[in-house]
This record gives sequence, structure tokens and C-alpha cells, in this order.
Amino acid sequence: MIRVTLKGILAHKLRLALTALSVMIGVAFISGTFIFTDTIDRTFSDLFDNAFSGQDVIVQSETEFNVGFQGPPPFDQSLLDTVLAVPGVAAAEGRAGGFAIIYNKDGDAIVPMGPPTLGSSLSIDDHLLGAAELRAGRAPKGLGEVAIDARTAKDNQLDVGDQIQIQTVTGVSYYQLVGIIGFGATDNLAGATFAGFDLESAQKLFALEGRLSSIQVLAEEGIGSRTLRDRIALAVPEGIEAVTASDEAADQAEALSENLGFIQIVLLVFGAISVFVASFIIQNTFRIIVRQRQRELALLRSIGATGIQVVLMVIAEATVIGIISSAIGIGLGFGFASLITFVMTLGGFELPATTAPLAMRTVLIGGLTGIAVTVLSAIFPALRASRIPPVAALRDVDVRLKRSERARTMLGVISLVAGTAIVLSGLFTNVEVGPINELIAVGIGATIVFLAVSLLSTNIVKPLISLLVLPLLRLDPVAARLASQNSIRQPRRTATTASALMVGLALVATFFVLGDSIKATTGRAIEQSLRADYLVSVDGFGGGFSPLLSEELDASDEIAATTSLRFGFWDLDGSEELLVGIEAETVEATIFLDVKHGSLSDLAAGGVFVHEKTADRSGWKVGTSIPMGFSTTGLQQVEIVGIYGEQNIVQSAFLVGLDFYKENFQGFGTDADVTVAVKAVDGVPAEKSRAVVEKAAINYSNARVRDQAESREYQESRIDIVLGIFNALLALAVLIALFGITNTLSLSVFERTREIGLLRAVGMNRRKVRRMIRWESIMVAALGALLGISIGIFFGVAITAALSRFGITAISIPLTQILSLLIVGVIVGLIAAVIPARRASRLNVLEAISYE
Amino acid sequence: MPGDSSAARMQSGIKVYGQNHTEVWALDSVSVQFERGKFTAIMGPSGSGKSTLLHCTAGLDNLTSGQVWIGKTELGSLNDKDLTLLRREQVGFIFQTFNLIPTLTAKENIILPISIARKNPDLEWFEKVVETIGLKDRLHHRPSELSGGQQQRVAAARALVSKPQIIFADEPSGNLDSHSGAELLDFLRRAVDEFGQTIVMVTHDSSAASRADKIMFLDDGRLVGEMPDPTIEDVLDRLKQYGN
Repeated sequence: MIRVTLKGILAHKLRLALTALSVMIGVAFISGTFIFTDTIDRTFSDLFDNAFSGQDVIVQSETEFNVGFQGPPPFDQSLLDTVLAVPGVAAAEGRAGGFAIIYNKDGDAIVPMGPPTLGSSLSIDDHLLGAAELRAGRAPKGLGEVAIDARTAKDNQLDVGDQIQIQTVTGVSYYQLVGIIGFGATDNLAGATFAGFDLESAQKLFALEGRLSSIQVLAEEGIGSRTLRDRIALAVPEGIEAVTASDEAADQAEALSENLGFIQIVLLVFGAISVFVASFIIQNTFRIIVRQRQRELALLRSIGATGIQVVLMVIAEATVIGIISSAIGIGLGFGFASLITFVMTLGGFELPATTAPLAMRTVLIGGLTGIAVTVLSAIFPALRASRIPPVAALRDVDVRLKRSERARTMLGVISLVAGTAIVLSGLFTNVEVGPINELIAVGIGATIVFLAVSLLSTNIVKPLISLLVLPLLRLDPVAARLASQNSIRQPRRTATTASALMVGLALVATFFVLGDSIKATTGRAIEQSLRADYLVSVDGFGGGFSPLLSEELDASDEIAATTSLRFGFWDLDGSEELLVGIEAETVEATIFLDVKHGSLSDLAAGGVFVHEKTADRSGWKVGTSIPMGFSTTGLQQVEIVGIYGEQNIVQSAFLVGLDFYKENFQGFGTDADVTVAVKAVDGVPAEKSRAVVEKAAINYSNARVRDQAESREYQESRIDIVLGIFNALLALAVLIALFGITNTLSLSVFERTREIGLLRAVGMNRRKVRRMIRWESIMVAALGALLGISIGIFFGVAITAALSRFGITAISIPLTQILSLLIVGVIVGLIAAVIPARRASRLNVLEAISYE
Repeated sequence: MPGDSSAARMQSGIKVYGQNHTEVWALDSVSVQFERGKFTAIMGPSGSGKSTLLHCTAGLDNLTSGQVWIGKTELGSLNDKDLTLLRREQVGFIFQTFNLIPTLTAKENIILPISIARKNPDLEWFEKVVETIGLKDRLHHRPSELSGGQQQRVAAARALVSKPQIIFADEPSGNLDSHSGAELLDFLRRAVDEFGQTIVMVTHDSSAASRADKIMFLDDGRLVGEMPDPTIEDVLDRLKQYGN
């Protein structure tokens, strides 16, 4: 029997290829994601191993939790003498660090997307330098000299001897570039730019006079790093910790990987979508195969194969296809991982070109997913196959082993209701059933809705196709009529094919609605809540600019007020929350916070403002104290001094005063402003006030000046970028659906060989045959697009409504974008029809009608 | 109880297709028995019910009422699984068309029933069958590389190789030219004479029927006559009578 199975597969290579392709793409997506994240993990652990190589112990301020590149706060430099006095210490040097933005020759800031702009003093002792080594020039000495990383130098044609500008917390100045630094084999630290100074200069530049960020310690020969760590730990005061360099490397690598963990989740979700779409295609393929092989299967039954053997045969075929395509898919995963890496590199992330080796986990998850999906999708067709009676080998029996249509409709309605209920409960309530949270509930619910619509759409194939064909009947009466009748003939098959396309387009439509609603909301917020004339802010994620910028503006006669905003993460009972440090003294003039209770003067004096929805949900009121855990200063009870209603400009549900922020957030990056809202003096013409702001910002070229309209455009463009990424990922799902239509049509053409031959014999020309197939393809695709758009609008509106608690208050449906999906559907139909239409038109008439 | 001499037997077999107005009585109370070690032909005009008789006796289709035995087993009492096992062990088939799995070689097709039963083929017997059908050098060809006559001989070999109680053949020579048809019938004849095989064949070809030990004539779902040791002239005469 296995032999029958294997030979059957090999005899139909195109069928195998198309079916396998759909599985392959899904598996490649999933395994590629794992390979990619493994690559990232390895890169980071290599990176920090490098950064700390040669050192034994690091002494630094104790922190509550690790926040990636944002290092611990500084401490007094007298601690260095304490450490040097510990027996077993061979050498120890202090290090001072902070953000340092290097400018290129045109005076533009070099700001990588994601990775930080590091500045630090360079140790004098070679061992304490870590993997950093001078590739060219010499070490910087004295104020005004700098060494930078080799990658930044290479990419911007900077060389030893050049004068370059660098921005730190103390402003922008010119420096003499005296050295180029490499880090072991790599040219930079995971994409970060790096500027190195001598210790004294660094302390000055980073406003750390008399203080240090960390102390690097080298052990005497024969003394283990753990031993030394324990000795130092006893010597240093409370609030200071000693850790081994290897522990610190592992900690930092882990923190960074976690920060990028969301990428893995997003990619896996899209991988799962691809696999889900593929399952429709596999199911359809097997349904058609079983039908086509009805006589062959019946012959096997009549010479003694049992029903179970037939089921096993179909399942075995599915398993073989699953194994082959999973294996190839895992191989393609490397290509996919490289593709993600390449895209990330375009975005400014610095990642190695070589991928991580294949992990067992990748093979298992990727392979099992591919095989399981193929086999599960083949189960119903296999059961159907087993019900073919042996007589079917002798006569043409119509094996309509139909589960009654009513049962299917009932099942469809019940699952539609259940799926919708699960989606809505996931969106609007707090679900907590074992490992199932809101997000997973929405995913499961959506899957059920898709399956239900697929089942139910079988019933509406006939009326919908009859409707869709109406305009075509005028255009091309004969071919269009035949095409519509062909697609109605096997409604379940047509419905499944269309469903595959439905899933991808539904999700695109969902994102369209969601994106447009967010745009409308931010647009409204800028209109209603932004009193400032300009927003000065950094692009992309992370980073900031020197507070000197706002100081300069404050000194200007044309400017009435500036409000600085900084971001920070803190811990609320174990979950990470974002807060904004805001200049409470001036915010009234620049941002309408919609204060419901409390006063801004209390915020300036300390305490926290909470957004009204968050306060409502948690039952907090003015006067309630909440536990806020800060990385630097640890757990504190902070009193709520106000409730506010604005959320879209400040983008956080928690506000603290800037002084409070500075007390509790110290260390890398927290000394820079992320956004400054600027209000001009009334009556000053826009050109003039703008010129003032631009002039102040000119030195800080990572700071962008935008007026209200530009701010709005900028926000919209950011949403468009995210939408673009999601749609690009969903394009794969649409591509798989396209293969599905091609596959189904090819098999249908094969099945109707005789019929097409007959049409040709009675005078239909090749062009008409091609058109007939093309119309069928377009109608099936349009059907899928219509279903997808309907579901997508529903999902989009539901999700947007659910997001109202996060401040998304407007619901907006972008009609043009949504209608464009219908055009996408028609194009998919056209492309999918190419191969089957050619095959059909090239049939040899005589062979076709005598075909058995 | 069926006598020892019958390999298969039908008692008062009735088969009705359709319902009410479209009712067709394909078999109208037919009782027949096929003798062990004999070659029986069933003849009759189109729609006489000869194929239905064959399918029902072979256990491929169910009777509306009546009983069928193969050997000592009554088919009505069997479930689908037991029926399948019975077909596998005790019945062989040769059909008019679509007899072979196109993706398997001739040899693989011949031993297919044995592979399905997960048994080892009796090699000596296999050699003997293959020798008899004269396809020794075509064993590794696919059906598409064989002529129609060769394909039918492969099908016949497949039916023979599991040593069934009885072989049912449905118009085995219907699609063959007269020379290939004659060769196939020679082979079936030898299977009966040399190996003692029981064969029941439906045909409307009088020269094919004349090679049988006995002919049964069917018309309108009823058994209308039998002819032992037929010659081709006898058959033609008889058919002429029915024609009138």
C-alpha cells in the first residue's frame, strides 16, 4: 500500500509541487523566525562577551531591574580607591558614560534605528578595554579628542585627523578624531555608534564630574573572578554591587534579546496565518485528488483494501507531502531569516550576515507544524475516500457522500456565533483561562470565525457568483456563463478556495480600518489638545537630545514656553509600565492635559498623575498611593495627585514631574529630552518663531522641528510604515491563496478534460477556453475578496472599539483602501488563472474526448 | 445449504434501483449457482441485469432482497470489513476497463491483493501464473506501456495470484480486438482446466461465451435459460431465438 501511495505522489509532480509550496512557505516563515531570533540572541551574547572580555569584575550601582542599554546610575569616584585596596585586585579603572551622538560631515546626526548612541571613557589598561581595540590612530587624550567605532567611520568616510561634531548632554562641540576602534571581529557593538574619550573628558562631557558609571576590575593571577567579586562586595557600601564580567555579559544580552522579543511574536503570528491559509489549500487539493482517484480507490477496495487502508493511504500521502515540504521549508527558513536580517539592516539595525545554526527546536516546531497541518487538513478528504464503494470501480456512480447541507449550515452558524463571541469577549473583557489571555482568545475566535464563514460561504457561492457574473455576461456571454456554472458546480470547493484568499485580505482590511482610526484619533488629538506651535522631537525609537536646546529656547524673546518630555519604564507589581516625565510648570501653555482632578502644581511638587481610564479600571483616586518600582531608586509609594483625560499627545497613562523623573531615572539616556513642546509668544509671526526654533535645534540635528500639521503628517507616516510592514507580511498569505486558486483550477481543468475537449470539438476556440478559465478564477478571487473585506471591516471596527480604553476614540473606515483590495482580488484571480488557462487551451481535442 | 459443488450461489435475488416511478427491477427473483472448477458465462442483452447479477454475487453491491453465498459464507450477514476481507481472500476480479493502477508496474499490480493483505507472495505460484499469461518480459512495464490485451492479461493474473475461490470477469474481452480477446480467453480456459479455477464471466460476445463450460441466459432480470457445453453455432442460434 505504501508503494501505491508513493508512486501516486511521484506520478503527479505538479500537484505535489503546488500543494507542497503552500506548506513550505508557512514552514519557512516559522522556522525562519526562529533562526532569525537565534541569530539575534547569539549576536548579543557574542557582543557582550566581547565587550566584557578580559575583565573579571564590574562594580556598579545596584539596580532593581535591567533596562537594556540604559545603564545603572553613577556613583562617587572615591569608590575606586576602595576597590583598589581590595587584596587580589591587579588593576581597576573607573568608567564614565552617557549618550554621544556623532555627526557626519554634513553636520547631520548619525542615529541608528534602535541601537543606542554610546559614549564612554576608554580604559588605559588593555585588559580592561574589553574587546575594544585601536584599529588606527591612537587613544584620545584630553578634552577635544575622540576615537569612534570603525563602522561609523567607514560608513561616513570619517578618518583619523578629521574634525567632527559630537552631541552630549552638555551640548554639541567639535572634536579631533584621533582613533578608530574595532571590537574583536566586528566593527561596532550591535549597530550602536560609539564615541570614546579619556576618563576626565568623559566625566566633563557627560556631566559626571567626580562620579563614575562603573569600575572595571582585573584580578591578580590565580584569583578567580568569583572570589574577587565576593571580596569586593564586602568592601563596597550599600547600593553598590560587584558582579563577574561574564554574569554581566549574560544579563545584558538577555535584557536586549527580551527587548526584541516582540519581533519574534509578530513574525510567528504571521507565520501561523500563512499556515492557516495553506490548510485550506491542502484540504481542497486532497478533496479533488480523492474525487479524481475515485475509480482507482474503488478498484483497490474491490480487490480487498479495507476502508481504513484507504484512509491510511490518503493520510500517508499527506504525511509524505508534509515531510518533504517541511524539510524544504526549514531550509528556506534560512533564506527567510536572511531576508528579515536584510530588511532590518535597511532599517538601520546592524546584524551579522551569517545566520545562526539550526536549533533542534526550530526543526521540531517548524517540521511538526508543517506535517500536522498537512495531515489534519487531509483527514476529512481521507474519510470521504474510505466511503467510496467498490462498485465505483465498475460504473460511474455519483459519490455524493454529502454530510447533509443542513448539518453543515448549523455547524457554520454555531461556530460563527461562538467565534464572534470569543473575539468580542477577548477584546472587551479580561480573559484569563489557563494560558489563554485576551490576545490568544482573539486569535482563536478569529480562526473560528474564518472557518465558520468558510463553511457558510458554501451556501452563498451560488447566489454571489450569479450576481458577480451579471456584468460579465454582457462582456463575454458564453465563456462567462460556463465559468460561473463551473464554479457553482462544486460549491464547497469554490468556497474553500475563496476562503484561503479571504483570510489574508480580511486581515489587511482589519489593519486598514485600525490604522485609519488611529490616524483619525491622533489627528483629532493634535487639533484639540496640542496648544504648542511646535514639537521638537527625535525620530525613531529611543535616544534624545541635550536639554540645552530647551534652555536656549526659554531664553528667547519670541518663545513663551517650552515643555520637556522624557520617557521611562518602571515596574508596577511585576508588569512593565511606561511613564512620561513632564515639565509640570509649563505644560498648561503647551498641552491641554484635560485635568479632571488635582492640580498641576502638585505634580510639579512630586507625586503622579494617572489617566482617568487607568484610574477607573484600578479603582484609584486622588490621594491613593501606588507602588512604583524604579530601576535606580527601587520601590516607592507614590501618591496620586491628579487624574487627566488626554492620552494621545503624551502617549502614556502615567505622568510625573520632571524633577521627580530626574531623581528616579539616572543612567544612560535619561538625561536627554525626547520631545520638547514649544509655544511661541502670541503675535509673533510663524516664520519668525519657526526660525528661532530651527536655529536652536540646528546643532542637535537628530531633533526635528514640526508644526501641528507636520506633526500630524509625521504620526500618519509612522502608522503607514507599520501598516506597510504588516501588509508585506500578509502578502505571503495572499500569495499562498493565489497558489491555491491555481492548484484548484489546474485540478478542475484536468477533471474536466473531456468536457473542455467537447467544447473545443463543437467549435469553442482556444481564446474562449482561456477566457472561460480566467473568468472562473476572477470570480472565485472576487468572492474571497468580498468575504474578506466584510470580515475585515467587522474585525477592524471591533478592535478599534476595544482600543478606546487606550485612547483610540475615532472609528474610521478608509473606503478607497478597502476597495483597492477588491482590485487586488481581481489581479490575484488573473495571475492565478495563467497556468490553468494555458493548459486548458492547449488540450488536444481528440485526446481530450477519448480520454479515460 | 449450498452443495459442495458450488463456489457461489444466489437464492431469490432481487435488486431494485430507484424508487416509485423510476423503479427498475434489475434482478427479478434470480436463483443461480456456479459450479466449482467450471467456467460459466452469463449472456443477455443490454439492461438484462447480467452485470448486476455479477456485482451482487461478487459482494460489490447489495441485493434488495434474497441471499448470496460465496463458498459457505452468506454475504448478507457480513459487515463492510468482513466483506472486504472475503473479497480479498476468496474473490478475484477482471473488469472491462480500468483494471490496473496506472502508477504501478505490471508485477506490482499482479501482487497488489497480496500486498494489501500484507502477505508474502507465493513465488512459485506467481512464476507459474506469469508464465501462463506469457508476460514474463513485460513485468516491469507500466500499464500505459502495455497493449490492451496485455493489460487484461495482467488483470487476469492479478485475479489468479491470490488463489481465490472464484473469479468474476465483467466483459473482460469487451475492449479488445478479436486476436487479443481470444488470447485472454485461452488463458482463462487454461486457468480452469489446469488450475481448477472457478470463473464466472459476463459477456455479450458469443465466441467468448462459447469457450465456457456453461452459459446462463438472462433477460429482463430473469434467468431464461442455460446451455451446457456450448458451441459457437449453438450460441448464435439461441441468440437468434431471443432476437425474435
